[in-house]
Order: sequence, then C-alpha cells, then structure tokens
Amino acid sequence: MRSLASLAWRSLAARRLRTILTVLGVALGVAVFFATQTTNATLDAAVDTTVTQLVGRADLRVEAFAEAGLSAGSLDAIRKTPGVRDVAPTLERRTFLVTDVGPSGDPVTVLGIDPATDRSIRDTTLVRGVDLAPDTQRSVLVTEALARDRGLDLGSIVTFYGTGAPIDFRVIGIVEGDGPIPAVFGRTAWIALPAAQELFGTASVTTADVTVARGATVDGVASGLEAAITTEPYVLVRPAEIAAGMRDSTADIRTTLALVAAVVLFVGAFLIFNTLSMTVAERVREVGLLRAAGATRRQIGSLFLLQAAVVGVLGAILGALGGVALAAVVVGFLHQVEGLTVSGVTVRPADLAFALALGVLVTVVAASEPAWRASRLSPVEALRSRVDPSVGMRAQLRWLIAIAVVVGIGGIALLPGGLASGARLLGPVLVYCVLLVAALASPFLLRPLGRLASIPFGWFFRTETRLIRGVLTRDPARTALTVGALAIGLAMVVAVASVGSLSRAAASAWITDVVPGSTVVTSIRPIAADEGIADQLAAIPGVEHVTPVGTFDVALQPRSGASPYRVPAAAVSGAAMLGDGRLTFVSGDRASALAKLDAGGTAIVPRSLADRLGIGLGDTLRLGFGDAVTDLAVTGIVEHTFPAPDGETVLVSWSDATTSFGALGADFYAIRYAAGAPPDAPASVATTARQLALQPTSLDEIRGQAEGAVGRLFGLFDAIAIIAVLIAGLGIVNTLTMSVVERVREIGILRATGLTRAQAWRMVMVESGILGIAGAIIGVVSGLVIGAIMLLTQGGRIAWIADAPWTTIVVVAVIGVAVAMLAAAYPARVASRVSIVRAVRGE
Amino acid sequence: MSSVQVPILEARDLTKQYVVGDHAVEALRGVSLSVAPGEFVAFMGPSGSGKSTLLQILGGLDRPTSGHVVLEGRDISGLTDTEATRLRRESTGFVFQFFNLIPLLDVRENVGLPFTIAGTDPTRGELRDRVQAAIDAVDLTGKERNRPDQLSAGEQQRVAVARALVTRPALVLADEPTGNLDFATGTEVLEVLLRSCHEQGQTIVLVTHDAKAAAYADRVFVFVDGRVGDEIVLGRRAEHSATPLIARLAQLGL
Repeated sequence: MRSLASLAWRSLAARRLRTILTVLGVALGVAVFFATQTTNATLDAAVDTTVTQLVGRADLRVEAFAEAGLSAGSLDAIRKTPGVRDVAPTLERRTFLVTDVGPSGDPVTVLGIDPATDRSIRDTTLVRGVDLAPDTQRSVLVTEALARDRGLDLGSIVTFYGTGAPIDFRVIGIVEGDGPIPAVFGRTAWIALPAAQELFGTASVTTADVTVARGATVDGVASGLEAAITTEPYVLVRPAEIAAGMRDSTADIRTTLALVAAVVLFVGAFLIFNTLSMTVAERVREVGLLRAAGATRRQIGSLFLLQAAVVGVLGAILGALGGVALAAVVVGFLHQVEGLTVSGVTVRPADLAFALALGVLVTVVAASEPAWRASRLSPVEALRSRVDPSVGMRAQLRWLIAIAVVVGIGGIALLPGGLASGARLLGPVLVYCVLLVAALASPFLLRPLGRLASIPFGWFFRTETRLIRGVLTRDPARTALTVGALAIGLAMVVAVASVGSLSRAAASAWITDVVPGSTVVTSIRPIAADEGIADQLAAIPGVEHVTPVGTFDVALQPRSGASPYRVPAAAVSGAAMLGDGRLTFVSGDRASALAKLDAGGTAIVPRSLADRLGIGLGDTLRLGFGDAVTDLAVTGIVEHTFPAPDGETVLVSWSDATTSFGALGADFYAIRYAAGAPPDAPASVATTARQLALQPTSLDEIRGQAEGAVGRLFGLFDAIAIIAVLIAGLGIVNTLTMSVVERVREIGILRATGLTRAQAWRMVMVESGILGIAGAIIGVVSGLVIGAIMLLTQGGRIAWIADAPWTTIVVVAVIGVAVAMLAAAYPARVASRVSIVRAVRGE
Repeated sequence: MSSVQVPILEARDLTKQYVVGDHAVEALRGVSLSVAPGEFVAFMGPSGSGKSTLLQILGGLDRPTSGHVVLEGRDISGLTDTEATRLRRESTGFVFQFFNLIPLLDVRENVGLPFTIAGTDPTRGELRDRVQAAIDAVDLTGKERNRPDQLSAGEQQRVAVARALVTRPALVLADEPTGNLDFATGTEVLEVLLRSCHEQGQTIVLVTHDAKAAAYADRVFVFVDGRVGDEIVLGRRAEHSATPLIARLAQLGL
C-alpha cells in the first residue's frame, strides 16, 4: 500500500501541469463556496451587531405608528406599566446639514436621546471626546463615518435643519463605526432629546425601548403595555423580530450567492471528473502491468482515489485561504451596496471544516467512477488495448448526476434557512436542474453544434477546420464534459447579467412610471398644505405643476380575520397623476379611478399587494389607524406605486390621509415643468427649494442611484460567476493538452503528410474555438432560461425577448470563445512542437 | 551503378549524430547513394544500423548532421521546417510500420488527407477521382466508408500506401511497412507497392530487415554500423523469390 501511495504521488508529480490545473480548479470552487459561507456568517454577525446597537439590552420596543409619535403621556403610561424597569425614549428624524447653499449632501439621521436612560440600555463606544450629559443642550455626537464624510472633528459646529430656524450644535464626541441605524451608510448623529424636540418642533418621541424588571416576563409586560398605551397608534416589537426582518432583507443576496457558489463548485467537479477519466484512459497499460504483477482491483481503485484525495486536500486548503480573501472583497462590496453595518470578516471554524470536507468529498466522489473503471479493467485487455480515450457516455452522465447531488446538498447548506427555507428553495433548485440538464445534454448537442460552430472557422481556416471536424463530431465523449463545464459557467453569467439588466431597467422604469414630474424636492418633516410651500414652488417660472406626496403607515386588516399588519401608504393627487400620464393600470379604468381618488373613499393598490392579498377591483380595503377603521374601495390596480422600505405604497386621497390616517403633510413634491419652460427652471427650483429647507433631486439622479445600486449588486454576482468560466478554462487546458498528447501519433502522421507547424497549431486553436462557440450557444440559451426562472421565482414577470440583454449575450459569447482559445494556446504549442520522428517510431 | 539516368535522389556523405545522455551516438557515418527515377530500392540491415534514420533524412523528416540530400535536383538537407513540410506535402509519401491512419477518419478521408492538408477539397472533381483511383489501386474498392478499426492490419497498411501514392510524389518512403504483418498480408502490401513502381513508374525506397520483402526491390543496400556495407543488384524480375538475395546475404555473413 505504501508503494502504491508513492506511485500515486509520483504520477501526480509527473503530470505536473495537469495536477496544478486540477488543484487550482478545486481551489477556486472551494474558495467561492467558503467565501459564500463566510459572507453569510459575516452578514449574520452584522445583523446581530446592528440589532444590539439598535435596541441594546431592551426586551421590547414601542414604535410609534404615526408621524405624531408617542406623546409624553404615553411615555408616562409605559413607565408606569408593571414590570417595566427602564424606558429609553428616542426621537428619530432625518434631516440635512446646512451649508452655504442650503441643505446639501445625503440626509443625516438625528437621534434625540435621554442620555441618562439611554446608557442604561445601550452601550456607545466613543473613539474621541465625551458622551452626551443629561444637561447638554447644544452638543452632538457623530459617527466616525459622518465625521469622515463631512470633515468633522471635536469642536466642529454642525447646523441641522429643523422645523424652525436651523440650530447649531458642537461636536463633543465621535462614536465608533457606523452607528446603529442600518442602510443610512453611517450618517447618524445624537443630540439630547429636549434639543431634538425643539429642533423638530414636537413634544413626542418615535420609539421607547423597554427593559423588563427582574421577576416580570416579556409577555406579561407586553400585554400590560397594550393596555396602557391608548392615545396613539403604535407597534410592539421584540429584538428577535427586528433581527429576523433584517436577515430577511439579505435573503435574496444570500440565495443568489449560494446558487452561484454551488455552480462554481459543480464546474470544479466537472474538471476533476474529466481529468481523472482521461488519466485512467491514458494509463490503461500501466494498470494492466500492475494487475499482471499481482495488484488487486481494490489496490488499483485505491491508487486513483488516493490521487484524487491528494488533489482534493491541496485544492481545499488553497481554496480556504482564497475564500477568506474573496469573502473580504464580497463583504466590503455588500457593505457599500446594502449599507449594512459590517465590521471585519467572520470566519467560523465549522464553516471552514465544512468547506474543506466538501472540497475533498466532491473531488473523491468525482474520482470514484474513473477509479472504479480502472479497477474493473481485466489485465489482459489492459495490456493489449491501445489508448482508448472514449469513456462510456452513460457512465459519465450517471456520475455527473451523482456529483450534482453532492454539490447541490452543499449548496442548500448555504441557503438562508437551509432546507427549512421552503418556497425559497424552489428557484435555486430549478436553476440547478436546468444547469444539470444543460450539462447532460452537452454530449448530444455537441455534434450538431460543433458542425454549426465550425462553419465560421471554415471561412478562414478551411484546412484546419476540415481536419478537426471529423474528430469533434465523431468523438464527442472526449470534449463533451469540457463543453458542458464551459456552458454552465457562461449560463450563470448570462442569467445573472440578464436578471441584473432587467432589474436595473425595471428600477429605472418604475421611478419614471410613478413620479409625476422630473424634479423631486424632499422635506425632512411633513409640510401641511396650508404652509403654502407648494404654491411657492408652483410660482417659479416654467413650473407647470407641483404634486405633494405624503407617506405614512396604515394597519391593514386582512379579510381572513388574521391580525392586522403594517402597510405603507401614500397620499397623492389623482388629478396630478392623471395629468402627467403616470401609473400603469393593470386593471380598472385609469381616468375614472384617478378622478374618483381625490373625492376620497377609494384606493389604488400596487400589483404586488393585490397579488399577495388576492384583492380585485371593487373589493374593500380595511385600513386601521389607532382604533379607527376606514373602508376604502379598490378602484384600480397598478403595476407599481411609490417604493417604501417594506413594500409598495397603497395610494389614497389627501382627504382620507389627513382625516383618517393621521398624515400631517407632504414629505416630497414632484415638480413638472411646462413645455417650453426656460432652461434654467430646474436650477431656479433647486435654489428656491434650498431656501425652503428642501432637498432637490432630479428624476435622472434618482434613476441613476436606483440603477447604480442594482447594477453594483449584480456586477458582484457576475464577477463570481466568471470564476466558474475560469475553472472551465482550466478544464479546457487539461482536456486539450491530454487530447494533443493522445494524438501525438496522429499529429506525427499529419506532419509527415505535409501539415506545417502553424497548421498543427491552428488545428488545436480551431478545435478549441469550436468548443467555445458550442459552449457559448448552450450557455447563452440555458442562461436565458435560468434568468427567466430567477425572475419568475422572485415574483417578477417576463417581458422577455424585447428585453433580452443582447449586449451581455454577445459579450458572454466572446468571453466563451476567448477563454477557450486562450486555454488552447498551450496545447496548441505542444501540438506544433510534436517531433515527427519520435511520433512515428515503433511502439 | 546500374542506372545511367539522372538520379532522382542522391545522398552525399551523410552523417547523423544523436546525443543520448552525455555521449553522442553516430547513426550515420558517411552514406552516399543514388536512386534512379522509377527504381525500387530496399535498405536492409540489423536494428540500429542507421537505415531508418537515413530514410527519415531522405524524406525531409529529419536533418543530417553533415552531408547533402538532393531530391529532383534540389538540395533538401538544409531546408527550414516550413520548406521541409512543403516538400513532404508535394514530393514525398510515407508509409510507417505502426499507426499510419487517423482512427476517426474513414478510408476515403485518410487517403484524401494530403489534399485536405494542402487546403484542397478531396471530395470533389478530379481529386475525388484520384482518391478513388488510389483506393482501387490498393484493392480496397467498396471499403471507402470503413474506418481503420473496421479493417484488417493488411488493409490498413494498404490504405497507408494509397495515401502515400495519391499525390503522385517523386518518392515513396516505406519504413518496415510489413514489419507488423504476417506473410500473406505483407505480400499484398508489397505487391501494391511493386505495381505502382512497375505500372506508374513510382520511385520507392523500402526499409526492411526481412529478406523476402527486400527481394521485391531492384537494388538492395545493406547497412552495417551506419554505413552502406554492400549493394546487391537484383534487377527487374517477374518473380520475387528471396533465394538469390538470401544466398548473397549469407555470403556477406549477415
């Protein structure tokens, strides 16, 4: 056995290039897998950190439902509820910093806290300066991120816009990191609660975090609170619910990452299986000799498995190292894209063990069929047989399925919630099945596709194409797996890119579809209609119409009698929407629905909500606010409405919003310019808006931001999918090199018959180019199918062919052929260097 | 020299050295000979006597260390790789002992290979007729669509001969073409070669260590230690009994 081990090792060392490429293939697969695990772990840790920062040691959070917030009376009631120990109230508002030109930059979240009670619940780590004291009035703490962003330091003066005149605050402390608020990219500041209430002109707070006294239960306190708070609408949440919500928001990212990782690993397994299959074919005689010398079947099988295990272990270790680096890149990227509070990469030992084990397992499983095949060779047959490269097709396919299952199980382990994720599992499983089918179909498709793909090469390299066509179309077994691997990698790139470009287009179209104007001015506080702001904006030359929009939450009462839940809503002017041609109606008459809206008593519902609740035209929507319930008739269902953090808004009239749902005023105005408006109209609007403490943004900017965010995220997925193509490229180097070595005699004969070195070189390049085109065709087609599945299972719809990402398809096809040809450069060189004399020498 | 014609092939003072490990092996030590157009010549000798090396140099597969090879009046000993390839494509045809055919191509495609390599289409027009004629000439009519693994060893070698002949090269070089065959099938291959020589005037150089094969030739060069040890003129005869040749070889102590 020892000597066999040494034989296995020497065989790997003798075929150094092949061994290195195979190890690299395993390493890349494991790296992506491990990076995905690590990214998941890091996101988990980030959620925990964020929740801890957000609610600290609180057991319950009372969240005001309406803009009016929780009054002092409600806070008192909370404090007096039996079982409540500490209560930390917070007033949270978004505002802008004042600069020379008015409000500018991105909005800043201001947290008004009571320093005394807040620190009993939350810990805040300062990197510099001192904490807020209970009596501080004009002091502010800022995050490191905000300080960096705005060039602030201890002693700097920060001026916040509020409801009255802007107020100056002195920076007395810098808080470590990004602060507790997710998705604001760290732009957070803390001031004392009374100062915040003065700044924003309110006597209320937005949340109250509650700890439960020793001896009391959370449930008991919760029901006590429900009885105690009667004056304003509110919701009670527990930290675990907040964490679950945040995890949910990253679920799509994780699912896609898991899918891509499983695909990369699968392609890696292809490479291993193909390499070992050919190694066995190449060493048939060696096996015959060993068997003749008395080696048992078991020893032969172990020899090949041992080789695979060595490759697997080396690849897995290398991959784990690369995985940490890759995870750091991915996490850095997600931090930027999703605004999550991520600090460092979390490497869990269990993940490491799992990735290593999976890497070795996949390698050994992939190798076990070739090993078994080697062990079944009869000594006589093996000694007599010439090198027979063709592997039993059926055996190949069977084994592929086995590998796919192993890798698939690994992939499920990466999914958020694992097997328990239920419906979410459907999409990835379907996608994976399509990839498997594409891989299995490759051997059968290779013949016709090879013929097709050889046509363009025939125009330029007639001789070489003719020489290679016979080989390609008669012996697909040799190259089918390689093509399959390439196709899978490319399919993933196409799928991700097409979903990405559709999502980007959808994000952009969505905004254009719903915003009635081309400039949006945003306010930090609700502006009541009687303040006259809309009129001031409308008076600017060139402005045709100003549409105020107010956003707020309502409690939707499902018909089933289940407990109500929060739904975002927006107050709009139906007339303005009608005049601007916005909103795409799926059902209901556009004109009459929008006309009726302004009269009150009706609602227009986004398609996503209608689908979820099974709402149709004419149905009644029961919307609660506090203890009051209002029934609105659904007069229209539209493609999209204004986006809100937790869904799309139900559109209601301003009259219902203010009388029934506690809306205080407009949060933003959409401004439409008249045809032939002066070219400086947008600039005048911007100037006026800043004077009114409003933030102007053009529709193009909003669209750009939406497209940019989506584009970056999918760019990341695509970058990972490219790794699969890279692995396939390694596979091509391996396959073609082996194929050239196997055909040394053939090439010798061709050279003796008059084939030039350049022709021999081109022959291999053309072969690879044909493989590349065949792979690209299979890849693009299955990629589009996968893209469709990804969209459908995420609730999207296909407006397909017209939107098919032609640029991506062309780019991917070029990448496929380029990778194939690049990979062929080395084997082609080997082919051109074949010595005729040695090649034709007797056996 | 039995021929008075201008030789089609001439070797002058050829030497060839290989470096194996640290020491040089002299495969050829000054070989000179000439072959007349339409002549059938055999190289005989024990293993390592240099006969195959000479054949490879004569056909442009390898280069001599010193000396010259003149084929059809042109010195081919100093050709670049591309020039040598062109020479092989246009002026010479090879038949080897082993592995002469591309396994995935059928008989017609294998025979048409030189045309394919030259960038012409052997399935059309005159070239198709030439391929068919070459197949007919080696008695493989009806097996055009067979692949090598569907042919006997003798049939495979005849396909190789057809491929060597199809371009009507100045010179056909056969390196132990019957070495892997039994007597009967070997005879079929030799008959085919002989016929092309007698009927088409094809010049043939045959390397063999089998006296029965060499007996088909007009002249036999016997190689010993990288030199021409002897030249045996058999002349053109109706039958190819090996007896006279064997007797002569016995005289030489071989």
